[in-house]
Amino acid sequence: MSAATRRTWPAIPVAILLAACDREFSATPPAGPQAERISGLTGYLAWTGTAVFLAVVAFLLYALWRGRRRAENAAGPAAERTLTLWVGGAVAVTTLILAVTLVLNFQTGRALAEFAEPDALVIRVTGHQWWWQVDYQDPDYSRRFTTANEIHIPVGRRVRVEVQSRDVIHSFWAPNLHGKVDLIPGYTATTYLRADRPGVYHGRCAEYCGMQHARMDFRVIAEPPEKFAAWYEGQLKSATPPADSVRQAGRQVFLSKGCALCHTVRGTPAGSRVGPDLTHLATRRTIAAGTLPNTRGHLGGWVSDPQKIKPGAKMPPNQLAPNELHALLGYLESLK
Amino acid sequence: MSSTEAQVTAGLLDAEGRAEMERTWDDGPGLRGWLRATDHKSVAKRYVATAFLFFVLGGVEALVMRVQLARPENGLVDPELYNQLFTMHGTTMMFLFGVPVQLAMAIYLVPLMVGTRNIAFPRLNAFGYWVYLIGGLLLYSGFVLNTGPDGGWFNYVPLSGPQYSPGKRIDVWAQTVTFTEIAALVAAVELIVTVLKQRAPGMSLNRLPLYVWAVLVTAFVVLFAMPSVALASMMLALDRLVGTHFFNPAEGGDPLLWQHLFWFFGHPEVYIMFIPATGFVSEIIPVFARRKIFGHTALVLALVATGFLSFGLWVHHMFTTGLPQLGQSFFTAASLMIAIPSGVQVFCWIATLWAGRPRFDTPLLFVLGFIVLFTLGGITGVMVASVPFDQQAHDTHFVVAHLHYVQIGAFVFPLFAAFYYWFPKITGRMLSEALGKWNFWLFFIGVNVTFFPLHFLGLMGMTRRVYTYLPETGWGPLNFVATVGAFTIAASALLFVANVFRSLRRGAPAGDDPWGSHTLEWGTSSPPPAYNYLHIPVVQGLYPLWERTPDRPVVTGMGTERREVLLTTVLDAEPDAVYQHPGPSEAPLLAALAVGVTFVGGIFTTWAFVVGPALLFPALLRWFWTQERHEGPRTEGEEPA
Amino acid sequence: MSPERTRLDVSALPKVVFGHRSLLWWGTLGFAVIEGFTLLLMVASYFYLRTNELAWPPGRTPNPDLLVPTINTVLLLLVIVPMRAADRAAKRFDRRGVARGLLVATALTVGVAVLRWFELLALNVRWDAHGYASVAWGVVVLHATLVAVDVFETATLGVLFASGKARKKHFPDASDAADYQYFLSAVWVPLYFIVYWGPRLL
Repeated sequence: MSAATRRTWPAIPVAILLAACDREFSATPPAGPQAERISGLTGYLAWTGTAVFLAVVAFLLYALWRGRRRAENAAGPAAERTLTLWVGGAVAVTTLILAVTLVLNFQTGRALAEFAEPDALVIRVTGHQWWWQVDYQDPDYSRRFTTANEIHIPVGRRVRVEVQSRDVIHSFWAPNLHGKVDLIPGYTATTYLRADRPGVYHGRCAEYCGMQHARMDFRVIAEPPEKFAAWYEGQLKSATPPADSVRQAGRQVFLSKGCALCHTVRGTPAGSRVGPDLTHLATRRTIAAGTLPNTRGHLGGWVSDPQKIKPGAKMPPNQLAPNELHALLGYLESLK
Repeated sequence: MSSTEAQVTAGLLDAEGRAEMERTWDDGPGLRGWLRATDHKSVAKRYVATAFLFFVLGGVEALVMRVQLARPENGLVDPELYNQLFTMHGTTMMFLFGVPVQLAMAIYLVPLMVGTRNIAFPRLNAFGYWVYLIGGLLLYSGFVLNTGPDGGWFNYVPLSGPQYSPGKRIDVWAQTVTFTEIAALVAAVELIVTVLKQRAPGMSLNRLPLYVWAVLVTAFVVLFAMPSVALASMMLALDRLVGTHFFNPAEGGDPLLWQHLFWFFGHPEVYIMFIPATGFVSEIIPVFARRKIFGHTALVLALVATGFLSFGLWVHHMFTTGLPQLGQSFFTAASLMIAIPSGVQVFCWIATLWAGRPRFDTPLLFVLGFIVLFTLGGITGVMVASVPFDQQAHDTHFVVAHLHYVQIGAFVFPLFAAFYYWFPKITGRMLSEALGKWNFWLFFIGVNVTFFPLHFLGLMGMTRRVYTYLPETGWGPLNFVATVGAFTIAASALLFVANVFRSLRRGAPAGDDPWGSHTLEWGTSSPPPAYNYLHIPVVQGLYPLWERTPDRPVVTGMGTERREVLLTTVLDAEPDAVYQHPGPSEAPLLAALAVGVTFVGGIFTTWAFVVGPALLFPALLRWFWTQERHEGPRTEGEEPA
Repeated sequence: MSPERTRLDVSALPKVVFGHRSLLWWGTLGFAVIEGFTLLLMVASYFYLRTNELAWPPGRTPNPDLLVPTINTVLLLLVIVPMRAADRAAKRFDRRGVARGLLVATALTVGVAVLRWFELLALNVRWDAHGYASVAWGVVVLHATLVAVDVFETATLGVLFASGKARKKHFPDASDAADYQYFLSAVWVPLYFIVYWGPRLL
């Protein structure tokens, strides 16, 4: 059986249901080798399970149908022997199916574990209540940088993701690429990813982590290598100083009205690591860990009152005069 | 009176003897009698009723959550309340409904089924109920006073630790758990001792009814599972209250220690609810198939194997924590292996139906529903036991679907079967069959409509414990279907409640044995008298009522002025001694209140750990120094030492 | 007229029995199993946390002292002697013997409880210092809770027998109390080695 058919069988029942929904959010079509491997196993489990289920229900219904029409119990040693044979056979078949399942599980598990590669791209992901800090690692310190909630990776290259948490337990899960891995304080866990097709893959926190666990999403953006390289170079740069007066005023608001207490914009005095790094905020698709699209309107609403959008988020409301807000938004939009 | 009649009745109790038994075993009238009651049936009835009330409350919480999730970005509840709701729902269903209702059913049924007059340690039994009640009241008082726990029923650290959950919410959870553990542990000890030492003569272990076997295995599982969560919740309370560092990774503690201890309890807990449920099924099927069960010995071995294996599965809740692969393989194998005893049971039940003449009354309908739902839940269980698949499915709605199929299918359905089956024995009246069939079909359809779509939502990436989701996810339609299903289940539960109230007032009289059953309890009146059996029956086979000889042998020579029970030997149930049970007392309630002061007060001040025990001591003195009413002549054992 | 019912007359059975023939003995055994298993899980937690540290005790925490814990362990084992005497006296229904045994055992157990405080000090670290400290305190305090309960039980029974209010059926209770005491003393020995010698060896 070809890899392509194997990939499709678990998807059959699900595909119908998924027809209407946005591809970016769909967890089912695998886009990387591990997700594909797991998907194949899922297919085996789902179809074997369905067969076993139908067999048991069929036997049950047949037993009831037979019994209803009978005037006398089936009794006596011969009847007992027949029953023993049937039950014994059923147990033997169950055991056999379980044994095969076990072997397939181990095979898949081993294949997933052997995916490690020494010269992979290394990304460190740190979970926070309720956003993702993303640090691109490089032996050359000048080629490291920090971003948040969006992970760009080059298509076809293996990526080593080292996950950790500084507060509570989170779980890193991009279902199209691989299964989840927990971020446990005091531990660093490692997982490998590879996307074989370009695309934007949705990910989210899978371990309950407090009030806004529901709004702790991230995206994995798989791009052709040259596009990824360009993005990487862009992210390495500090923020470009604003040219016009409105944005300069906006930068002043950023530095003086509290934003800088938590956020970093490289190239400015703002260097705090409490909240997400905003150096290239304008290049991101969403704000507040996938809660809202990154538009001027949403950004304004978020900056003014994050508690209204994401109650419990660690960012306080900011009471800014209309012109200050206008200037600040202009500045944030310029952080490309 | 002719001489032959005198010979026949010699040693048997006459009307006067019966009247004296009534007096001796009566717990007393009115509120005072109610508060002092130690009759296992009285205690069990209030235990079941309380647990069912919590079941309804947990169900209402589920309904609110389902409405919130019916469409994307719904604003019915805010995240703060939603997180409390799923914590309350899980905690209620597991700690205040699931385990207690199973132990309560066992407290009612086991003494009757083994043919004794009361449960071993009846005062401890009453104490267990009061402690459980205090635990439930604590949790719901906290919730009403906006101090409801919000850490999930699994309550992972460090989220539930002092740093990330200040305030008293988590403490309320931890102490609720403490109360329910105490209640479960004392019930387990009582049940084990009742089964081992108080069986009717002749009921050797190979004649033990399957339900009693199931309870025995369950009680042992409780004995080894509950200490783990007791210890974990105690460590958590200490971390929060006095600054220990059991779970603090910054100071040499470890958050995974919590997960190990919690799931070492948490997985067996599922079996604490499931094993007695299979016992119900094994009792009900032969009665409604009108033949003896097929594979009695295999079923007993399956129960015992399930009990043992239930302790080898806990790590399958931790497959995403990055544990070493070898360890994970072991737990995958164990998790798959437990499917074998479950398969043996299902096949034996089907074989019994196959060879019998099934009669489709409501108890059997619920049992058949159980077989279907449990098979499906068991198969998804085999799926999540696979580490690679679980890395995708873990903490998604796939697991929500799986666990509800297992919990509702394999525990609530048999429980309802048991309600319909034993209700006539407990109340003396039949439940309505017509309402019962509506009850069953609405429930069965509702469960499938609610939970089957959740499998797909899980595969589509919908995680658990989210208070909302974005419209672009495409999860809306299936969630809406699930919500409709949830209301179907609610309608079914309402019908059940209506059926109970209707039948209590004007249900058809049941008689001693409306179903043609085979276990001992159907040989006494419905409802049974306070002393259960005027004469303790002598058991002659595995199916005592189906196999008894015309001379219907009974035990004679036991006193009627004291609460005497017969002790028999552990294996062969040979009569060994006569033991006097204590009478009714308010001491268990007082002791429970003292324990309540200790742990509820402990949330606020460590002084409670001085005051509470100080109050407990006089309550215990009262407990042990007022064992019986000292009327009439002293019998052996009551003379001064 | 139903056929004659076969009767199994139990009026000659004893009402006061000891050991596994008695109900309370099984109850005591049940609770000993629960408590023993809780202690075992605490010890498992101790070794689990051990794996997170390079040194044990971690950092500059000193090893626990040995003197007081060793004395107290011996004392706790000594309680077995009067308890054994009470046990034997109970089985021959000797009221004074039981009273004497129980009261001596109570006095010794009170001594154990008092020394237990110094035993905690001998850990040389406060419970809130780090994981090691918490779990070491945890083991000792958990066992101390059982000792405290035991003191009350033994004392109450002792007073009951000494005051002459005891009845014949209380003798098995004294015997069960002795069995519980054996458990309590025996289970401490491995705990003592783990908590007080362990840091030197692990």
